[in-house]
Amino acid sequence: MSTTFRAGEVAATETERVVLPRRAGRRHPVPAPRRKGLLKFGYWWWALPGILFVVGIHYVATSIGGFFSFTNWTGIGAFELVGLDNFVRIFQDPTKLGALWNTLFLAFGSVILSNILGLGVALGLNRGLKSRYILRTLFFMPVVLSPLATSYIWKFIFDFNGPLNLILRGLGLDTVARAWIADPTWAIWTILVVLVWQNIGFAMVIYMAGLAAVPVEIEEAAAIDGASLWQRFWHVTLPSIRPAVAIATTLGLVNGLRVFDQIMALTGGGPAAATETLATQVYKQSFALGNFGYGAALALLLTLIILAFAVVQQRVTAGRSKED
Amino acid sequence: MTQRRRRVTRFAGLLALPATAALVLAGCSGSGSTGDAGGDADSFTFTFATSNNLESPYETLAKEYMAANPGVTITTNPTPNDKYGETIRTQFQAGNASDVVQTTPGSGDARGLVPLAEAGFLEPLGETATSLVPSGSETLFEVDGETYGQPLDFTIGAVVASMGTAGMNGITTWPTTMDDFYADCEKLAGDGKSMIALAGAAGPNAGLTAQGIAATRVYAEDPEFNTERADGSTTFAESEGWADTLQTIVDLKDRGCFQQGAEGGGFDAITNGLAQGTSVGSFIPSGSAVEIAAAAPAEADFKVQPFPAADGGKPYVLASSNYTISINAKSTKKEAATAFVEWLATPEAQEKYYEASGLLPISEYKNLDLSDTIYSEVVTDITNGSYTTLPNNVWPNPAVYEALQVGVQGLLTGQTSIDQVLQNMDAAWTD
Amino acid sequence: MFRYTKLTGLREFLFWVAALVFLLPFYFLVTTALKSDREVITSSTLAPPTAPDFGNFVKVLTATGNSNVVMGLINSIIITAGSIVLLVLLGSLTGYVIARSTRRWSRVVYYLFLVAIVLPTQLGTVPLYIGARALGLTGSAWGMIVLYTGMLLPLSIFLYAGFFRGLGTEYEEAATIDGASRTQIFFRIVLPLMSPATGTVAILAGLIVWNDFFTSLIFLGGSANQTLPVAMYYYIGSLVSAWNQIFAIVIVSMIPILAFYLFAQKRFIQGFAGGLKG
Repeated sequence: MSTTFRAGEVAATETERVVLPRRAGRRHPVPAPRRKGLLKFGYWWWALPGILFVVGIHYVATSIGGFFSFTNWTGIGAFELVGLDNFVRIFQDPTKLGALWNTLFLAFGSVILSNILGLGVALGLNRGLKSRYILRTLFFMPVVLSPLATSYIWKFIFDFNGPLNLILRGLGLDTVARAWIADPTWAIWTILVVLVWQNIGFAMVIYMAGLAAVPVEIEEAAAIDGASLWQRFWHVTLPSIRPAVAIATTLGLVNGLRVFDQIMALTGGGPAAATETLATQVYKQSFALGNFGYGAALALLLTLIILAFAVVQQRVTAGRSKED
Repeated sequence: MTQRRRRVTRFAGLLALPATAALVLAGCSGSGSTGDAGGDADSFTFTFATSNNLESPYETLAKEYMAANPGVTITTNPTPNDKYGETIRTQFQAGNASDVVQTTPGSGDARGLVPLAEAGFLEPLGETATSLVPSGSETLFEVDGETYGQPLDFTIGAVVASMGTAGMNGITTWPTTMDDFYADCEKLAGDGKSMIALAGAAGPNAGLTAQGIAATRVYAEDPEFNTERADGSTTFAESEGWADTLQTIVDLKDRGCFQQGAEGGGFDAITNGLAQGTSVGSFIPSGSAVEIAAAAPAEADFKVQPFPAADGGKPYVLASSNYTISINAKSTKKEAATAFVEWLATPEAQEKYYEASGLLPISEYKNLDLSDTIYSEVVTDITNGSYTTLPNNVWPNPAVYEALQVGVQGLLTGQTSIDQVLQNMDAAWTD
Repeated sequence: MFRYTKLTGLREFLFWVAALVFLLPFYFLVTTALKSDREVITSSTLAPPTAPDFGNFVKVLTATGNSNVVMGLINSIIITAGSIVLLVLLGSLTGYVIARSTRRWSRVVYYLFLVAIVLPTQLGTVPLYIGARALGLTGSAWGMIVLYTGMLLPLSIFLYAGFFRGLGTEYEEAATIDGASRTQIFFRIVLPLMSPATGTVAILAGLIVWNDFFTSLIFLGGSANQTLPVAMYYYIGSLVSAWNQIFAIVIVSMIPILAFYLFAQKRFIQGFAGGLKG
């Protein structure tokens, strides 16, 4: 989009011809003089449906949900306020604490791994590769696929007689081959692998956009000054892409905390509840078992965690960007 | 034409096309969904649990019914057994469940009909259903005097074993003591085979295995255990029989009675193991034997065998009606559904059910001569009453059975201890 | 720096190898889907099929009941298209007003939407579910469209508001001088101008709605309006472990989105990177 004419464009109306000058670059919009307090374009009530929708579906529903977490409602009939009972139950139940731990593990694990690998790919594809666009398309492909669908492929790969174990056995590593998905220690790692696989492209794309904005001159100047590859990366490139890092990690974290599809497809929460997370537990408690109050309490916990991290993230990155 | 205007028209066109399509199709689907299956009043949907890809007896029955009643279309929805309760409950809650749904008696399973009926999800059935309820177990089928599930079967829960496979590996008679059993395990394990195929990752099989063993260790000595637990005069943690049951499972694993990778095995481990002869038996409902026998060579010769009692104990098996058919209270096809359900109670349907599934028909089993069937080895146990109802049918809520299932899985992987499992089962028991 | 040295060539080669290894799962997907029932049990999982068998696809596309994939596909299209239309309409109207207003309330409202984006929907799902059930909206396509629109509206408004902030008001000023009404200004001048933002919203929101599983499962699971991911989930569940059929349906579910992606991949990637930076 542009508010000026590019070369070759023709004015559509009298107005355009008069108002818009020809220029090659973008122009900063000059704020139109307004009478204070009056909306000059559009009607204020155009925003009303949108606001109502959002307030209703997000805020009102969430508050009601929050309220339910203090009750013992089963979805039908009457309920009673039970105060903090649901929360006490959560912290006394080892499977729920395990779910909490899994939630955090998957979120942080996937963010760290997919960002490091994504950054690596972005750096590698950044300068001068002839086929960088094709490679970028290929690496990004898993991101658009349904997480459910990709989980089924990986379920096959991790199967006891699937390709991974076949390769391991072929390499003589028979003892390493195991029932990955049914193994209480390793099952959560299989989910992590699927998450990272799907999100590398996502991180990569954000970093590629960020890297493209880094001026070449600074890097070349550093190279001339004798800085090594690593020094150039750490002191020049990385600070320049701080905003990209902020975005990629925030989004990755928020999404990682909500993982659901992959777990349902790969392990269903097993073995013996070893891969349950808060999200899957909310589903099972509320919708499968009908313990709406308990499920709401779990959901409230998840919400608070996500909000907490989002706020922390904002503080950290806002502080950093001020330095630039 | 300016570039801008061209872009506008193209963009508008792009947006208009899906928009109109969406509206048109939404209109169509909106009217279509209220009159599902083609708006035919005699067509309905039927959901049941399945553990394999073989044709389920319910599928066979549906086909029979359709053949006998042209104009009726039954759309079957086979649903995986290990997610069955969760799936139908989610559907019932949203009002999206099928018209006819397979459930289970009692309240001890997520698919138990008592809590579903209490939540208002099921339609009360009529006289036909009530007449089939085994006397003495009305509390498992009825709520407030109304029957909500029509029993179909009389299932015997013990080990379904391929005597052909056993014979090929040098086991001529089914072991009747634990020592013999372990000896046979070792013999088979040496060849890379196993006595028992266990789907450790599938809750229902883990739970059924435990209950099958519990029949001999708990209920043989104390048939009233469930009532005593409900009274509060005993607990799982205090029960030596239950501790013994769980210990037996651990012993079976340690002594190679389960197949390799049992803790991660799914239902396919059982189907393939039994059909291909790499495992001798499995704790599956007697009905599944016929399904699997169809996929196995004729020499397989499946028989229902009692699990050996503990030293000095009595032989005991599980036997009860475990499958009921219910009608969705929100169904718009109740007449057609009721006609089908009533047909299921007729002798022809029961006969067909028996043929297709091997499950004893609820109305006829006492009159049948079973000496030449897969039940020949357990006939004496049934006739002299050495059996108990499937325990989880009688337990008060699904969480107890779930704790048992998860506990067995945990014992197999070494994640938990026997005491912990029993404590969890007690904690889940709410009165 | 831009000289194509031997090292660069090596880097390119290595990344191609990496890309191929990275996409290896797709190899398994396609080869297994083309194996017949016998072959999938007997042959090695690493080997390609000896004679491609398309029978699995036929089976998948003719499945009925809860496993009806074709119906799931149609429902997904309806619900996604409907949601996109509503999101574009409401999002642009609201975003425009917020961006153009200088009153304090617009800043408050802007932050309202920002927080709503991060706020997870799990907690609100239960009451929404109860409400939808009471209104009889569970199991209905319109109910889902309304729900998805509500859930993604903050994102849409955020993107549009950001876009409009960067859009100068010259066009609108000039049109005002010409005597156009406010409504005319919006629909005839602003609407065409916002197509980049609309593209971003359509792609991001469309992808989220298309791939959504959890909400669709609880609201539509088992009904005639269930979407593709739910149909796939039920169908694969009923197959237990027939991987060839499972992968046939996975491929069928992936084809629409992959076709769209390959057709418009630049737009996709720009949408993700650009839209999210804003």
